[in-house]
Amino acid sequence: MSTPSRITVRHLTWILPLGAVLALASFRPLSSPKESEHSVRAQLLLGRTLVLNHDCNGCHGGADPASDGWLAGMKTPDQEFLIGPCAFKTGATPCFHTRPRNLTPDNATGLGRFSERQIFNSIRYGLRPEDTPDVTITSMTPGKGNFPANPHYLAPPMPWPGWRFMSDVELRAIAAYLKRGVKPVTNRVPDSEGPPDFWASAYTVEKIGRYPPPVFPTANEREPR
Amino acid sequence: MWSQHRVVRNRVTLTLRAVLSSSAVLGAFAFPVHRPGPGTSAAALEDTLVTPPVLKNISTVPGTIEVNLAAAPARLALLPGHATDAYAYNGTVPGPTLEVHEGDHVIIHFRNELPEATTIHWHGLHIPADMDGSPLRPIGAGKQYDYKFTIPRGTAGTYWYHPHPDARTGYQIAMGLYGAIIVRDANDPLPASLPEKLLILSDNRFLPDGSPDIADPHSPQGQIDRENGREGNVLLVNGQVMPVIGIRSGEVQRWRVINVSAARIYRLAIPGQTLLHVGDDGGLFERPRELNEILLANSERVELLVRGSGPPGSQTTLQTLPYDRYDPHTRPANWEVSHDLLSLRYSDAPPVPPPALPAVMRIVTALDTSRVTARRVIVLSQELINGKTMDMNRVDVRSRLGATEIWEIDNVVTMDHPFHLHGFQFQILDRDGVPEPYRSWKDVVNVRKHQTVRVVVRFDDFPGKWMFHCHILDHEDHGMMGILEVRPPPVRRRM
Repeated sequence: MSTPSRITVRHLTWILPLGAVLALASFRPLSSPKESEHSVRAQLLLGRTLVLNHDCNGCHGGADPASDGWLAGMKTPDQEFLIGPCAFKTGATPCFHTRPRNLTPDNATGLGRFSERQIFNSIRYGLRPEDTPDVTITSMTPGKGNFPANPHYLAPPMPWPGWRFMSDVELRAIAAYLKRGVKPVTNRVPDSEGPPDFWASAYTVEKIGRYPPPVFPTANEREPR
Repeated sequence: MWSQHRVVRNRVTLTLRAVLSSSAVLGAFAFPVHRPGPGTSAAALEDTLVTPPVLKNISTVPGTIEVNLAAAPARLALLPGHATDAYAYNGTVPGPTLEVHEGDHVIIHFRNELPEATTIHWHGLHIPADMDGSPLRPIGAGKQYDYKFTIPRGTAGTYWYHPHPDARTGYQIAMGLYGAIIVRDANDPLPASLPEKLLILSDNRFLPDGSPDIADPHSPQGQIDRENGREGNVLLVNGQVMPVIGIRSGEVQRWRVINVSAARIYRLAIPGQTLLHVGDDGGLFERPRELNEILLANSERVELLVRGSGPPGSQTTLQTLPYDRYDPHTRPANWEVSHDLLSLRYSDAPPVPPPALPAVMRIVTALDTSRVTARRVIVLSQELINGKTMDMNRVDVRSRLGATEIWEIDNVVTMDHPFHLHGFQFQILDRDGVPEPYRSWKDVVNVRKHQTVRVVVRFDDFPGKWMFHCHILDHEDHGMMGILEVRPPPVRRRM
């Protein structure tokens, strides 16, 4: 008859870590599909709130998410922006027409063919998704950290220089909402005419400010007393 | 709303500045296209169109074509009348024509005497991947390589060869490296009596000394070239400006037309005449199509029957009509101008009776779309395919031998992108859902701005890595290219 095996302290040196690993592994399924669905929904709702309070629909269409043409882009010519002297004096030249594009995830006419990362990069860095590789960007210097050497920017008046300062979480939520929280709508918006962006030297740090912003407090700011 | 107006106002000054700088840039397009003076020898009816020499076969074995081909610097006139430093295949621009028959074994002893690496891509030929001359197999300066392949049966048509090294294709072609390939069929359905013309259409831009004007990529012109593709203001046919082709009333000529331009898309027409379109990239198709004009994108080939429908002694021109392939931001100011390519002059001789032409030329059997093994979406945007730039070490599409696939090629931007797949001819199913009106073999399809084109392709032979890319050379050189890997079927292991 063999001696029954006994668990000794020596055994514990491997049994305990093994148990810990098994226990951790068994916890993973707890983040169940239901839970991840819940967090995706929370992310989309955050994106929706941000879209509303940044008034994306003010240009891109729809009074509220229930209305016709929600984020579906320009439908009538009065939604065009005139860029250049003609914005102030009818008939003055040059005159460029910028048209709010379709932000719904339609493959042919909207954002359907762009990744959420490309949408993120377009709001953070102002980079047109169709001209910008689907990569993570880590610099604002052209040619460095995946920032394109010849950046192509969104047409004015898209106010991305200000919206850059939204957090990563917020920008990802907007991208997620546009790609997954909105139904695709087929609406071909005529191409914006300009102004020609890729030789413009407008979007430099000197002109649009630093990202991330300088540390608080700067010379213009003060700590609360 | 108020804040948006403020944004607009802030932008006005920078807009003006951008416009001022851009108008200086666009001024470069205002140079007139070079044209010869009025014809001095109206009576001369012989062709002034020079056809490139045919590569000399040094093999005595029937069914084998063995040729020597060297790429080397040369001193010659890319712009007629202005000798300059150029690159040439066997000393001529265009390079000599490779003429072969279906089934021929072809051996090309290639020597690279250029000061840089190159390859030769046999554009459109269905041959093994390691013979395809892709950027994966560069041939260094001073090196030699023997390209060997067999011309498959059923592939008679017009093709071309050109360099395809990493990032330098546009430069090397602009310097003079391009040539035609004609694959003949022993049982060609068109009458052998039709006079045949080879027309290699190219354009180029020159400095005052006649050397190719290749802009610094950081200059405004360089940036426009990168965006639009480098478009030349001198339009050449077989390297000549406005050559003459003579024709007799009633005669029918067979023209093989190749667009080797880096970026220009031709909209070909002969005023006062219709064209009979009989062949595409992969050769003749079933029935001739009568057209007023035909679009020829980069690297595409067509075969046209030009009928001498004009009266004796008359004259007309082959033209390229305006075609808006451009992004509205960078569309050249003079894009709405037609250009003459060559002069078509009728002899004074009385008309000859037109020859009989076959109603049916070559049956192109439809690839079986009920056996499709994969459907893929290929998204074209500016310099990107599926949001990525080319990586030699990445495989973008994996497939297997024997697969039949539908590729939905989706252009999401506001300029045309001609899409080329190496090694395999495909059939176009539809464009924006509109079924293609006829069936032919293609290796390039121009995907218009915001257009979706579906093609069907079968990987019936030749495993390996194959390129697919935009054939605007500046886009290709900047990475608008992906890699398809066709793998052999899995080997079943005995347990």
